[in-house]
Amino acid sequence: MNKIALAVAAAFATTLGFLGSAVAQEKTVTIAPFGVKTGVLRLFGLNSEAAIKAAVEEVNKAGGVKLADGSKAKMLAADYLDDRCNAEEGIAVVRRIVGSEALVAVGPTCSNVAEPLYGILQKTVDDTKDTGLQFPILTDVAIKVGLAKISEWSFRNVPSELTMYSSLYYWLKTTRPELKTVYGGVEEDFAHSRASWHVVMKDRANANGYQVLGESKWLLNDANFSTQVREIKKANPDILSIAAHPFTTCGLLKEMQRQGVKPKLIVGLTSTSSLETMQACPKQAEGMIIPSSFAPVNKEARFAAEQTAKQKGSADLHSMASWENVFILKEAMERAGLSGKKDAASIQSDRRKLRDALAATKTTKGLLGVNKRTEDREADKPYVFVHAKGGSWVVLHNPL
Amino acid sequence: MFDFIQAVLDGILFGTTYSLIGIGFTLVFGVMRKINMAYAAASIGAAYLGLVSASALQASSAWAVFGFSLLSGGLLGYFVYLICFHLIPLRNENATLMSTVGMLLLTDELISHATTGAPQNYPATLEDVMLPLGDLSVRGDMILIFGVSVACTAALLLLLYRTRLGLATRAVAQQPIAAQLCGIRVAQVNVLTFVITGLLGGIAGALICSAVGSLSILLTGPLTVKGLIVTVIGGLGSVPGAIVAGLLVGGLENAFQHFRGVTERDMYVMLLLFAFLVFRPGGIFAKGRGRD
Amino acid sequence: MEFYYGLAQTIGIHTLLGLSAYIILLTGQMSMAQAAFYAIGAYASGMLTVLWGWHIVPAMFAGAGLGAAAAAAVGFPALRVKGLMLVIATLAFGEGVRLFFFNFDYQVQKGNIKVGPLGGEGFRQIRYFPENGWTSDQVMLFVWLFVLLIMALLWWCDRSRYGSVLRAVGDDELAAQSVGINLTAVKVSAMTVGGAIAGLAGSLYAHYTTHIEHLAFGVLQSIFALAYPIIGGLASVFGTLAAVVFVQGILVEGLRFLGDWRNLLFGVLIIVAMVVRPSGFLDAQMFRNFRRWIGAGRSDA
Repeated sequence: MNKIALAVAAAFATTLGFLGSAVAQEKTVTIAPFGVKTGVLRLFGLNSEAAIKAAVEEVNKAGGVKLADGSKAKMLAADYLDDRCNAEEGIAVVRRIVGSEALVAVGPTCSNVAEPLYGILQKTVDDTKDTGLQFPILTDVAIKVGLAKISEWSFRNVPSELTMYSSLYYWLKTTRPELKTVYGGVEEDFAHSRASWHVVMKDRANANGYQVLGESKWLLNDANFSTQVREIKKANPDILSIAAHPFTTCGLLKEMQRQGVKPKLIVGLTSTSSLETMQACPKQAEGMIIPSSFAPVNKEARFAAEQTAKQKGSADLHSMASWENVFILKEAMERAGLSGKKDAASIQSDRRKLRDALAATKTTKGLLGVNKRTEDREADKPYVFVHAKGGSWVVLHNPL
Repeated sequence: MFDFIQAVLDGILFGTTYSLIGIGFTLVFGVMRKINMAYAAASIGAAYLGLVSASALQASSAWAVFGFSLLSGGLLGYFVYLICFHLIPLRNENATLMSTVGMLLLTDELISHATTGAPQNYPATLEDVMLPLGDLSVRGDMILIFGVSVACTAALLLLLYRTRLGLATRAVAQQPIAAQLCGIRVAQVNVLTFVITGLLGGIAGALICSAVGSLSILLTGPLTVKGLIVTVIGGLGSVPGAIVAGLLVGGLENAFQHFRGVTERDMYVMLLLFAFLVFRPGGIFAKGRGRD
Repeated sequence: MEFYYGLAQTIGIHTLLGLSAYIILLTGQMSMAQAAFYAIGAYASGMLTVLWGWHIVPAMFAGAGLGAAAAAAVGFPALRVKGLMLVIATLAFGEGVRLFFFNFDYQVQKGNIKVGPLGGEGFRQIRYFPENGWTSDQVMLFVWLFVLLIMALLWWCDRSRYGSVLRAVGDDELAAQSVGINLTAVKVSAMTVGGAIAGLAGSLYAHYTTHIEHLAFGVLQSIFALAYPIIGGLASVFGTLAAVVFVQGILVEGLRFLGDWRNLLFGVLIIVAMVVRPSGFLDAQMFRNFRRWIGAGRSDA
């Protein structure tokens, strides 16, 4: 009697085992996030990581990604890899990702990593003489103007500073016509901020009829702004347009307070519209206006912010671009018709299909509205103007 | 011309921060013939610990923060000595230098993890006090920093020349072997040097962050480089030299910036150092061995 | 496989950088200017291949040559000072060169875009390898060809009179001088060779990353150049190689599975390495033991 019971139990267990493994054989598609989690930019990496984790969870809650054969695959986010804002490490990270089963990488944080990274990708698709990497990258944070056109495998979902500052200066001209002159403050040795003043802010201010009186320069870890503030005092501009990150922006503003220099309006850099500035100099930054591609002004935006907070990240224009990227990729994957198979040839052909789908994308659903995609693989995102009020960033004007 | 004078004055005043850091570097060199590359980072670390402990104990006034920074500095100084200098035979110069570099990287990363890389608001002393000097204006908090540097030098000189510990320290600085033969415990003197420079570093870090307005690890790199430059120009081992050199570097920095702009400024500071090394390698106060 | 080829390339380039500091360390001097010669090699060779269409090999030798020239130029005045002062002097020179490139603009119109270094924005599109159809494994072999060449050169040097002279100066300057060794000649020659090797390494770096900018050639890079021979030990070139494999292979890439902790462990492990083995991984004692061990069969113990 015991032997029969044992045999039945064994057969039952074996069947269960087979069923179990059949269930466990679910299909997956992997995206690989990377960026900076070291040093002064650590917050960017933490926030992007949280946003991507939260977004991937949402995608899977809604059923996952539909493959070419109609079945559903679970989306996986690989561990967030840290490139420490260093070109060599960024390249090593992407090469590592290429060797994994990930179909696309989301990152990097630093513009000075993005440039070399795009440089090692194949420049033109199907150029057999070009031995660059054939792997799509959809960037969420690195915002220096004009990078995605470097390679046909590089895509970006970052706001266009040209569009936003153009619109801001135009709006300021119409709502505050008494302000006529602009003076700049620029962090000269950081790729992003430097380009943002010389190529974007200065140009757009001129284009909208402002008189640009000049600019004051400093370096990214300078701590003494007395000379620069005296230059600002002398120029006596109506609007001070600062292209610098929170540390030096706060240093400058505190020195301005010390010397009693108070322009009528201060415009800041996109990245400065973050928690960092409100932590370091809430009082001095009061009233600063910054255009941003994120603010919790509608249901989706607030939902995204809440879900990201659950993963211990905070929502700002950078981390919310990471959130958006996950959904852009899901939608592109479904249009591409992926095989989901894990052999090398299928993975490479899936990557190519995904790249083609991304290239063909004309619009994507952003948190503030519809994001348009441009010919050179950049994004044109809706934006709002925020200003610093009482220690946090509040929407000042919503052109949507 | 007036702008230039004001710029140089501003520079000299900011140079007091370089002086403070330079004193620490030069003291360690004077006694142990070693460079502690982690000094500026430890000073910023002490300033951060001061900020955190003061707010944990609900004491948010600037002086409370400075007090805690001072104490944290001493502790960190001891810690750095223990790990980087005590455990490695002193004759391995390369090894001790590299271990202080490791300590520098570690300290920066610890602060970055604790603050998630974001700059921390630091309480200011004499907030927004600008003293008029004719048509020029002088930053009040810089005068305070200068006062602290002078007070520290006075205290150090008192320590060195009026106490037994000072006697022992000078003996070790001049002739370590002979000092040991006289019964002076060299290890103890080294520990005390580190603790004292640590205390100094703590107050330096706190004052610098207060002058800048925020605490960030972006400060450690330039402070390390400037501190080393100041130490060399002032004469390795000379405390008054460090103070004078700090003011000199600060003033010249702003002068270069006035004429050639901020992107070329540091290049000229480097050339200045190079010139000093070629023409006057002993520094401004080029005397023999030992301190002063 | 891409990843391993890339890692091998990085290790190779960093080994060259470490060796450039190694040869100078043999004479008892610590040079914090290696990143400057690295930068000179990078920008020079990049400009030659991108702006004027040179082949990579002559461009690399030009980079090495310019690095050597700069090192000789800085060697003469810098060698008036010794020890820790030299460290600071070379640090100042290194920063000066970095700032020079920060201000350096030289652009040339090529087709419909401008190419060349652009000050703070850096020098982009140095795409000699991908544009000429080099695959990752070919680049890796190319890099290692040079690494092995330089390692062989230095290893042979160690066994020659020049090597003994270098180490003699490093051990005791006074004694070396008293047997008639010309200290200045030896030290400047060591610096020149170091500058050449660093220039070569820089050329490879520029073509590997395709985009270079001044921030990559700062004090930290010089510190790493010094760290490799110090951590690895000065007894042999293999010490530097071991240290590069330790830092780049284990600390940077191998510890990735630790996530956030990796950054903290970086500093900790360097300290531990120095405390546990202050003379480096492969020091003279180790070689003596090794020789005794392989010679154990002989009867003249």
